[in-house]
Amino acid sequence: MAAKAKPKLAFYWAGSCGGCEITITELGMRLVDVSELADIVFWPAAMDFKYDDVRALADQEIDLCFFNGAIRNVENEEFAHLLRQKSKIMVAFGSCSHLGGIPGLANMYDIEALCERVFDTSPSLDDSRGTRPQTITIVPEGEIKLPALHQSVKHLAEITDVDYFMPGCPPVVEQVWKVFQAALNGELPPKGAVIGADLKSVCDVCPRDKGEPGFRISEFKRPHEVDLNPNTCFLTQGVICCGPVTRAGCGIPCLTGNMPCRGCYGPAEGIIDQGAKLASVIGGLINTDDPDKLQTILDSIVDPAGTFYRFGLAHSIMSKMKYE
Amino acid sequence: MSHPAVVRTFASEVKAIPGGEHLELCYSCGTCVSKCMIQQKVEPDYNPRRLLRMVMMDMRDEAFESPTTWMCSECDLCYQACPQEIHISQVIAAVKQLAVDAGYTSPLTPVQVDEALCSGCGVCTMVCPYQAPSLFEKEVDGELDRFSQVDPNKCMRCGTCVGACPLGAIAREGVSNAEIQSQIPSVDKSIPEIITFVCDWSLREDADLQILESYPKHQVNVVHIPCTGRIDPQHALMALDSGVKGVLVCGCKPGECHFKRGNHVANCKLGLLDTMFKQIQSPHKEIRFVQIGTQERGRIRHEIDGIITAVTAVKEAK
Repeated sequence: MAAKAKPKLAFYWAGSCGGCEITITELGMRLVDVSELADIVFWPAAMDFKYDDVRALADQEIDLCFFNGAIRNVENEEFAHLLRQKSKIMVAFGSCSHLGGIPGLANMYDIEALCERVFDTSPSLDDSRGTRPQTITIVPEGEIKLPALHQSVKHLAEITDVDYFMPGCPPVVEQVWKVFQAALNGELPPKGAVIGADLKSVCDVCPRDKGEPGFRISEFKRPHEVDLNPNTCFLTQGVICCGPVTRAGCGIPCLTGNMPCRGCYGPAEGIIDQGAKLASVIGGLINTDDPDKLQTILDSIVDPAGTFYRFGLAHSIMSKMKYE
Repeated sequence: MSHPAVVRTFASEVKAIPGGEHLELCYSCGTCVSKCMIQQKVEPDYNPRRLLRMVMMDMRDEAFESPTTWMCSECDLCYQACPQEIHISQVIAAVKQLAVDAGYTSPLTPVQVDEALCSGCGVCTMVCPYQAPSLFEKEVDGELDRFSQVDPNKCMRCGTCVGACPLGAIAREGVSNAEIQSQIPSVDKSIPEIITFVCDWSLREDADLQILESYPKHQVNVVHIPCTGRIDPQHALMALDSGVKGVLVCGCKPGECHFKRGNHVANCKLGLLDTMFKQIQSPHKEIRFVQIGTQERGRIRHEIDGIITAVTAVKEAK
């Protein structure tokens, strides 16, 4: 009797740090179970496949593709389109693919300003030689090619059709395992859903004591400036926490480690723009007893855009308006 | 020497509550009534002067049933004007406390919490100017879960909690997220040049409201809100994203907010939004917050014309 063909899995990393790959290896021995149930046909971070192996596949031959990383350059974009074409189910895996992630913070600047920082003014450089990345460089051995940068960082759904979104920086391993099982058993929800996460916000599962009614913030502090109480809401300690607007499902490792939520699981259900909604929360919490001090209190928030949109800037309405 | 038995009158009960002690300084001049926006805009029977008289005349039930007891939002425009410097809202609050103790309830419809959406984050309990919401725990599927609940006798319906609630779990009729979003133009509707979110209390005169209505709908789209504390920066961004050229938020002057702090809250929210716009270097879009004082009749026309001129200039420069 011929064995039933196993479903085919692919993993790819675009503009990312590699953390999403590590979360998959954290499955440990369960990876053996995965390989029993499915064939991994592409996984550049861990196995020896070439790009041409993907190009040789038939359309929709891959059953399930986990695509992590943002779309930063033309190579990222090419593979997003290629893997979409070759896959039945395309999952935006991790914050960068879902929302643009940390690389998306680059959308605050233009490309030249970024290159100037990296190649000219970075404090770790001895001197600047005005180097800039070239798409083609001729060396004695031949041509070296680098993919060209896009003007802005995009999230996966901006450039291609995505079936599911799996948030997290990185997605936590238990959620990855649950999603694998659901996918292999054909139990995924309708297309377009956020999977491997909850509907409500991080506050729903945060065990900390909430602020007393009427509590207001008179000065904002960064986590390293405060001796943080592990049992009370960060906001009541003047520390910005993205928990109220961020989707739960991570298992709150940051909160357990006595650090505020940084927002990597993206906007909770019903929120359209994570940073703007957080501004709506924080604005209401500011102590308004002395109107002359409002600006001083607001000024004590260091880097609002980078804090409120830490993982979602490339997904924000402001970034969209900037680049359209 | 014998003392007469102490008669515990209604007035002495009110005076015994902190804030109520200034009751008898009132000589019924009526300045408070002339300053009161509720009396002028909503409820002709609303009358602080008369309520204070009722208390002094021991008219307990009449006082407890009076709209004045329940509708005061502590804007303190009357306190600023009272020649006797009576903190009238505190006296009214003392009467209200006795009314609640006696089993009376507010005739106002409070905001509603949808527990299916509420995550129990407690943001509403902190932002509310009246401390109307509080958290409680109850068992759901065998586990204790936390939700918000609103004290109907404290809620003044300003909507500050609705603007702050991260998950849209609190609604006030007329200004729930769905109702506001339905008024923001989408691409399939005609896009006005300007969208303006107007606090219902900031335009004191009918003439000012008529100015608003005098602009054609394709030029100025008006969204009425109970207080600028209801503002959600998401809605301003959605409007700009749809093609609207400018967003004008119109609220009350500092010190004149009908709901104590909503105008300051809006200032903070829009201030944060402005900072983020600058950081992200998104092309300049007009979001303006104007704060109109009680004495500034007709200013709304000047403000609307100003923002229309500004966005038109940007358009022509392109």
